[in-house]
Amino acid sequence: MVILETKDLSFSYPDGTVALDNINIRIEEGKKIAFVGRNGSGKSTLFLSMNGTHRPGKGEILFHGKPLKYDSRSLREVRKNVGIVFQNSDDQIFAPTIYQDVAFGPTNLDYPKEKVKQIVHKTLEYVGLMHLKDKPPHHLSGGQKKRVAIAGIVAMDPEIIILDEPLANLDPVGADEVMDLLNEQSYFGKTIIISTHDVNLAYSWADYVFLMSEHKIISEGTPEEIFVQPDKLKAAHLRRPATLEIYEEIKMRGLAKTNCCPRDIPDLVHSLRSQHLLWVDVPPEVKEGDYINLGIFYGEYAQNSAYEAANCKVLHIHDDGLAIAEMDRKAFRAGSIGIYDTAKYSREDLLSIIERDGVECVGAMGKKSKLIAEKDDIYLDVTAGVIDRSILNALAGQRCLILTHDGMVHHAMDRIRAYMEKSGINIPVSVINPNPEEQSKQDVTKSMMT
Amino acid sequence: MTHILDDYAILSPLRYKNNWLKLAIVTFGILAGVSSNSPLVPFFIAVCMSFATVYFGKIPLRFYMKLMAAPAGFVLVSVIIIAFFFGEGEKLFSFNIPGYTLGVSPAGLNMALLVLARTLGGMSCMFFLSLTTPMIELFSVLKATRFPDSFIEIAMMMYRYIFVFMEVALGVRYAQTVRLGYKDFRTSFRSMVMLGTNLFIRSWEQGEKLYLSMNSRCYDGKLMILEDKRPVKLTEFLLTSAYFSLVIIVFYFTRNMFVV
Repeated sequence: MVILETKDLSFSYPDGTVALDNINIRIEEGKKIAFVGRNGSGKSTLFLSMNGTHRPGKGEILFHGKPLKYDSRSLREVRKNVGIVFQNSDDQIFAPTIYQDVAFGPTNLDYPKEKVKQIVHKTLEYVGLMHLKDKPPHHLSGGQKKRVAIAGIVAMDPEIIILDEPLANLDPVGADEVMDLLNEQSYFGKTIIISTHDVNLAYSWADYVFLMSEHKIISEGTPEEIFVQPDKLKAAHLRRPATLEIYEEIKMRGLAKTNCCPRDIPDLVHSLRSQHLLWVDVPPEVKEGDYINLGIFYGEYAQNSAYEAANCKVLHIHDDGLAIAEMDRKAFRAGSIGIYDTAKYSREDLLSIIERDGVECVGAMGKKSKLIAEKDDIYLDVTAGVIDRSILNALAGQRCLILTHDGMVHHAMDRIRAYMEKSGINIPVSVINPNPEEQSKQDVTKSMMT
Repeated sequence: MTHILDDYAILSPLRYKNNWLKLAIVTFGILAGVSSNSPLVPFFIAVCMSFATVYFGKIPLRFYMKLMAAPAGFVLVSVIIIAFFFGEGEKLFSFNIPGYTLGVSPAGLNMALLVLARTLGGMSCMFFLSLTTPMIELFSVLKATRFPDSFIEIAMMMYRYIFVFMEVALGVRYAQTVRLGYKDFRTSFRSMVMLGTNLFIRSWEQGEKLYLSMNSRCYDGKLMILEDKRPVKLTEFLLTSAYFSLVIIVFYFTRNMFVV
């Protein structure tokens, strides 16, 4: 369903500079949208038009199919439902304490005091900043400020959340936390729109991408469609995402399968051709065509699993005893991914699961789970890019556990399943401590990897 | 970043105590100190308040000493002058400089000690308030005193943006310094003017951005001002009462007493 639409939208600043030129876009509900373009291409102006701040000179904006009206009542309605997180958090956070800033939106929506309090507590809990609620904003780090800014918008419960350059000036950990929040919000059914000039982010994260250049939309489509068109990217003054760049290079060298479009590292790994031929030292009695047992591979020699039995067919023997063999690998044990819902957390329970399942790699996703792990001294092997890392580690035969909570449990599950579907590799994945009613839905796959 | 008084106040455990109680303690201290004729009362108050600030307020002793050193140094100089030039009559001791006799009379010494004690007592009370009660808390006090909302809201935003602009100003100043903007008096002057202009324009722009962002969050003329209920605990009440009664007792017994 289309939630927001613009028709022939044009806007010029009072001094005559054109900022938007005939923009026609349709934004689908619940999608993750990225507007990509270099600085000054009109992204921020477009966003401010979407919540009625800028009144278009020509054309119109439709919200839920109805044209935007500019009387104060309708504007209020639109601004409640289209929240904007500004690029610079200091432009947005103006109250002397975090609590008051998050309470600002709900207060102005005329909610009763008790309800405001409840919303603010819930939101601060959700972004993991409850312990800082009485602090002034200048005592916070950049990442924390950004999360406060997001909390201020989320507290108003908008249908669309627009973020202008959400990752600008953030360190990798801060950026990861912000992306976690956005993914979770997306899972709750919000439409998320971001602007960015980071092609890697747009490529790996978005469902749908608009390329902007010179105040116009120059192309739109799914990331796989957009980022493989070098001329379009060039016109937008952008470069190809690193994943695609690497993929093209290894493909040209014949190391990767053709016709893949890897969006993240697990995809990229999957696109690699498995290495079948290798040089081995063979005893003199072995003849061409024989099978030899190379024993068990483990550690860095085992490519797909922790332990692999390798049988080789000898294809050709050189005079000096070296032979070319074709390897046939068989995994002894496939890795697995368990998801632990920290909403029902207890330390003993978690430790016993780690012990029982022989978990080798623990990761935490979402601020709440990370705080729990930190508080109870649970060692985290992975804190950034947790799902991707866990998939990669499970492919390498490790048993992984992801600590997460609420909406992200399903998000993680979906991501991993999507990977299995795409790659055809089965990774046993399950929620370790599911809700009783969900127990029946849960499927524990036990098959080995191919 | 340099720490300012407000930062210590925010981190102080006394921050979460009842604001009115703290205000009452401070007002009482200042009034008692000023109205006492004997230096003992303000001295007693200075000792108690300093102890409370450092011990209960968890303010680093070194920092507190440094803070007190400024007014104390100033008042010590004044006290010496007062001791020599105030009071008539018999001198306690005196010495001659060619053509003039300088001496300290009992009245002068009493006056000097009283000024010293009152200054220290008053300052320790003020520091107690400013080191345990951040601006953030005072806003709710202002609100409760029926101060007009618009004033409080403007004050709140000013408070917030003081820190934003301080950071900008420090950044600009640093950028000027590394390019030799303060190498002599003339250039320093020019650089300062540029810094000021820059800050003015920035604050103008910031105002417009702020208006935009507040409108985007449905600004309707309402800011949330916290009114936390923090009842005075029994122990706090008892401690304060004990302090008050001690001060009053000291006050009563020293009302006609002079040091010399």
